[in-house]
Amino acid sequence: MKKYILVRILKSIISIFAVVSIIIIMIYTLIPSDKVFDNDAGAKKMKGDQLTTYKMKKLEELGYLDYVSGTELCTTAFGEDGKDACLAAGSTQMEEAAAPYAAKGYDIMTLKSGEKYAVHRFKWYELLLRFYKKLFVVDSVNAVKTDDPDFERKYYWGKNPYNGTPALKCSGCTYKYQMYFDGSFPFIHQNKFRLDFGTSFPTSQGVPTMQVITDGQGANKKIDQTFDTGLTESSALIQTSCQYKPKVDHLDQKRFTDNYAACLSFHESPSMVNTSYILGLIALVIAYGMGLPFGIAMAANKDKAVDKLGIAYINLLIAVPSLAFIFFMRSIGTLFGLPDKFPQLGFNDIRSYIMPVLILALLQTPSLMMWLRRYMIDQSNADYVKFARAKGLSQREIFRKHILRNAIIPIVNGIPASIILCISGALITESAFAVPGMGKMLPDAIKMTNNNMVITLVFIFTSLSIFSVLIGDLLMTVVDPRISLAEKGGE
Amino acid sequence: MSENKKNLILSVKDLEVKFKVRNKILTAIRRISMDFEEGKVVAIVGESGSGKSVFTKTFTGMLEINGMISNGEIWFEGRDLAKIKSDKEWEQIRGKKIATVFQDPMTSLNPVKTIGDQISEVIIKHQGKSKSEAKTMAIEMMGKVGIKNAEKRYDEYPFMYSGGMRQRIVIAIALACRPRILICDEPTTALDVTIQAQIIRLIKDLSQEYGFTTIYITHDLGVVANVADVVAVMYAGQIVEYGNVEEVFYDSRHPYTWGLLSSLPQLGEKGENLFAIRGTPPSLFEEIKGDAFAPRSNYAMKIDYEQEPPFFKVSDTHYAKTWLLDPRAPKVEPPAAVAHLHERMLALTSKGGIYGER
Repeated sequence: MKKYILVRILKSIISIFAVVSIIIIMIYTLIPSDKVFDNDAGAKKMKGDQLTTYKMKKLEELGYLDYVSGTELCTTAFGEDGKDACLAAGSTQMEEAAAPYAAKGYDIMTLKSGEKYAVHRFKWYELLLRFYKKLFVVDSVNAVKTDDPDFERKYYWGKNPYNGTPALKCSGCTYKYQMYFDGSFPFIHQNKFRLDFGTSFPTSQGVPTMQVITDGQGANKKIDQTFDTGLTESSALIQTSCQYKPKVDHLDQKRFTDNYAACLSFHESPSMVNTSYILGLIALVIAYGMGLPFGIAMAANKDKAVDKLGIAYINLLIAVPSLAFIFFMRSIGTLFGLPDKFPQLGFNDIRSYIMPVLILALLQTPSLMMWLRRYMIDQSNADYVKFARAKGLSQREIFRKHILRNAIIPIVNGIPASIILCISGALITESAFAVPGMGKMLPDAIKMTNNNMVITLVFIFTSLSIFSVLIGDLLMTVVDPRISLAEKGGE
Repeated sequence: MSENKKNLILSVKDLEVKFKVRNKILTAIRRISMDFEEGKVVAIVGESGSGKSVFTKTFTGMLEINGMISNGEIWFEGRDLAKIKSDKEWEQIRGKKIATVFQDPMTSLNPVKTIGDQISEVIIKHQGKSKSEAKTMAIEMMGKVGIKNAEKRYDEYPFMYSGGMRQRIVIAIALACRPRILICDEPTTALDVTIQAQIIRLIKDLSQEYGFTTIYITHDLGVVANVADVVAVMYAGQIVEYGNVEEVFYDSRHPYTWGLLSSLPQLGEKGENLFAIRGTPPSLFEEIKGDAFAPRSNYAMKIDYEQEPPFFKVSDTHYAKTWLLDPRAPKVEPPAAVAHLHERMLALTSKGGIYGER
């Protein structure tokens, strides 16, 4: 069993990397790199050499290529002192400076001004190598680069400023708080290991993609807190998120005794992930709460009124396109004074949630009911049910103790996936209500050619799906004694 | 049928069962009357579709949803079971007074509940015991049916048991509430021959210990010869011959019984074709005129096609429903295969034979 799980996890990880690698290769080699600038406001204002240089710089940042500017060419060839002569218009030294790069396989290009630059477009394997090299980041005491000889590099125990629990802090790492505890999921937080997917572009330029997804939304929220210096003030800064900042200003110095002053902020509204998750989870609970009892009732009263009503409901919901259903429900909601757009009343008003959650829940019920009914009816023809009847058990007891126990097994298998994949949001419902959730992140990112965001989302969704299948399988062993997970045979 | 009215446990009178199949009415049981004596082992034999299972299902109200008792009475403990409509009333009889063991032990047990749970469930239900009392009783019962290490195996699941073991559990469940009648619906068909003998032995021993009446449904005449006191031969929803086991085996009178006995594979001669009754049973959708077996019988007479034969008495305990027993009928000899059945059957069922004890 243990060995099996280990092998499964290993296989899962391999699958995740296979998927992500394919996506990276597709994005970087199949989509013209120029499309990246289609939605970039910055590029639209430029033209000529300025635009070319800008694009090259950006593409290098995005990991498409290695760009060596004229200045760099000259500096490498002739040093700081000789570079001006080299850069002068019409200089023959330029050719000379570019020659070693041409030999290395770089393309030597010429700007309109006559200045040359060298470009090397990465091959697919170089792309992958570079991506994975920077993906895994382990924070260490040597992470901060500084010339200060007195700079202390060490780990030490401190306190979480918000609840007083112990926290592992670090001087010299990128993050000050390496590990801390609090009451929000997953309770133990760490900044030691991170996945770096690069920054978002062209939307939310310069912000790491992970931060775009997980950071709160809306206005900053100030709370009363005490800083290292003893200063107590109402501030939005999240102290546990602070990173090293090379230069601190007087405001920072008022709060912090060290250089860890680049902090994230508390926000009024939850992040995109959390928004989708809150909606999704409530909807899921309602869907199972409605779907399961209804499905059981249908199976127990097969061909009777309840069953027929249920089948009509299932047929209706499956037949009506979900988009039509969502808009229909939305207009019904407005009749009861509920908002037709989420931001109208915002996050803090319960009325904002009612319709999106209800719609999400209702959309999930038909398949749940249909399958549970089918599994139960399948089971009720089994021999053990006949025998249970011969034992003198009542129909209710047979349903509850025998049939349901068997019919629920395949349903249980799907529960982890339903829970975990709430994160990915619901595209249509969220769009219809303009909910700022995860649903439209992927399509938006694709539309905007936000490469890093696409890769980040693919990585997240793939990992979640693959691991939810694994958890589903593990859960099966709990509900079905016949299933034991092993590489070969049973025990 | 029986004149001897003492110690009757179950008495069926004029029972008729109909099924509604695709808007047509099928008569599965055509007016059967039969008495079951307490403590006896009764075997009901007949080919597939003769109504054996349907007949016994009426005793526990287990007819399929499209079936109904259209006529007749089933008297048990002073009440007419044919009149019971609600499941609630049936629950007082099913499993508690009349228990059933089904054919396939591999599927009779719920795969995701422990063996122990499935046994104590009935005890809790019918005897109102607490969980721990039920467990003690269940473990005792498991020991009775020959499960070793019962205590340890109480919490195991059916898939951890072999077919024979599962059938033992099924029997334990059936007997957990000390029923007065045990219906065994082809209890050994799905088991291999050695296990068959063990299971039959087990049921026999337990019936002596607990004194319940056993009704076997089977088409294995070897089993019948080995365990039964009384045999009822069924054909097309009727009982055509009824008597003590010796009488039916060695002095059978109905051509259908002859056919059944002749086709026993154990009695076939090497190198010869195995005997088979020609034709197929009549359609039960239509009304049957005369003797239902006539079209397949080598001994059919004109009257067989016109009028249904009554039961003729052969002895106090032996009756057969064939015109051949009418004094006016010509004298016929049973087929040769049946003639020396006694000696051959003896060889089979004695020690060392296929059905003998091992």
